Amino acid sequence: MAIRWPLLVRRTHKWLALVVGVQALLWTLTGFYMVAVHIDTIHGDNLVRSPVAQPFDLDGLVAPSKVVAAMPGVSEIRLQRLSGQPVWRAETPEGARLFDARSGAPLADLTEAQIREQARRIYTGDGKIVSVRLLTKAPQEMQARKPPYWQVEFEGWNRPTLYLSPTTGELISRRHALWRVFDFAWMLHIMDYDERTDVNNPLLRVATWSAFAMALTGAWLLIWSFPRRKRKKA
Amino acid sequence: MKKIRLTPLFFRRVHKWVGLILGLQFLLWALSGSVMALLDKDKVGGHGGGMAHSHPLPPGEYFDIAALPQGEPVTGVVLRDLGTRPVYELRTPKGIRLVDATDGADIRVDEGIAREVASMMNEAPIRKVSVIAKPNLESRDHEGAMWRVDFADAENSSAYVSLDTARFLVMRGDTWRTWDFFWMLHNMDYINRSSFNHPLIIFVAFGALWLSGTGFYLLFKSFSRADFRWLRRRRKPVVVRRTA
Repeated sequence: MAIRWPLLVRRTHKWLALVVGVQALLWTLTGFYMVAVHIDTIHGDNLVRSPVAQPFDLDGLVAPSKVVAAMPGVSEIRLQRLSGQPVWRAETPEGARLFDARSGAPLADLTEAQIREQARRIYTGDGKIVSVRLLTKAPQEMQARKPPYWQVEFEGWNRPTLYLSPTTGELISRRHALWRVFDFAWMLHIMDYDERTDVNNPLLRVATWSAFAMALTGAWLLIWSFPRRKRKKA
Repeated sequence: MKKIRLTPLFFRRVHKWVGLILGLQFLLWALSGSVMALLDKDKVGGHGGGMAHSHPLPPGEYFDIAALPQGEPVTGVVLRDLGTRPVYELRTPKGIRLVDATDGADIRVDEGIAREVASMMNEAPIRKVSVIAKPNLESRDHEGAMWRVDFADAENSSAYVSLDTARFLVMRGDTWRTWDFFWMLHNMDYINRSSFNHPLIIFVAFGALWLSGTGFYLLFKSFSRADFRWLRRRRKPVVVRRTA
């Protein structure tokens, strides 16, 4: 028996669509969201002020060797400012610590008041702070980042939230409604419903190749979809 | 002009025409998505940064920081270890100055340093070392001039090392290169490969919504009870056997 190609291809297209149709719909919907909202907006670049480079007065600062002596294992020491005062930031495998750059004394963890001040300084909006909490368990939106950190939420429809380090006061992450929607869209897009990071999961692999076969049979069907006989009866 | 009636035939036509115009991109999205899902993300690598080794700073005295500036304002100071010696990174309005942290001498990030830094990330023999004045496609997430160190390994790895700071920037291999080609097909940014928010993709993605939307709708119109008869037919003999 001769194979009736149009029928076979149409059936294949139809049945594949039945299997991956919902996912194809989700791919185009989430894909559209991800391309339509600019990634800089998603990253929340407009929520925070980038620090202005101001010259340091290097006279009278404690030598970094003092910091090395105080913190064996330190891999990097950086001069920065905390509330306008110069500090040495020492990076170790266990995290970062601050030292007063004038006295060399290690600085205690930031207080809630300092964190509030810091968050206000970084945040570009003028909404009020709604909540300030020191988290010891990572919320979903902080992904693999290890707590503890301060979570500072601001007033606003998009619930802008800054995450700050308790030891250095620096900005770790910023989150807001559009980011959260993006993250959800990304989860649906890559079909990793747990960690939202595994782009190699078997479910995705099967679904993508099925969708490819569906698209290919769809393209094939186009051959028979536009009859050439059409000629207007004059 | 005929009035548009929202019949299955109408949606079938939309599906057909959008398919004709944007179908190729849909096919490419499915293909590139499939390939990216197939390529092991650990081999692709290059995401998230923070992959460079950090070396503990040796104890002892360092060059006096107050003597570092040469008349220029200093907006940042970093002390770190290259793996072979400690260095100061001095940020000034003119750029970054790299200074030996033991004797205060300026350091030029030469080929030797580039080789040392790159070799800490890859033990394979080095095939070629070259300077690039501007980032290329492989090192596009970074800025400034850099060394490119090519390795003779199975992945044809290339390490990029900053010419200003001697920092290791990124490692790219053939798996990443393959991935990046398909990522380009996916994000439709054929020149820079980095943006997925340009007008072309927004337009095509909007069109693709119609393709998938009408397609999904048509699923409900394309299947009849008869299509699922094979499900029932298979069940029957089981029932018969049980009663016998």
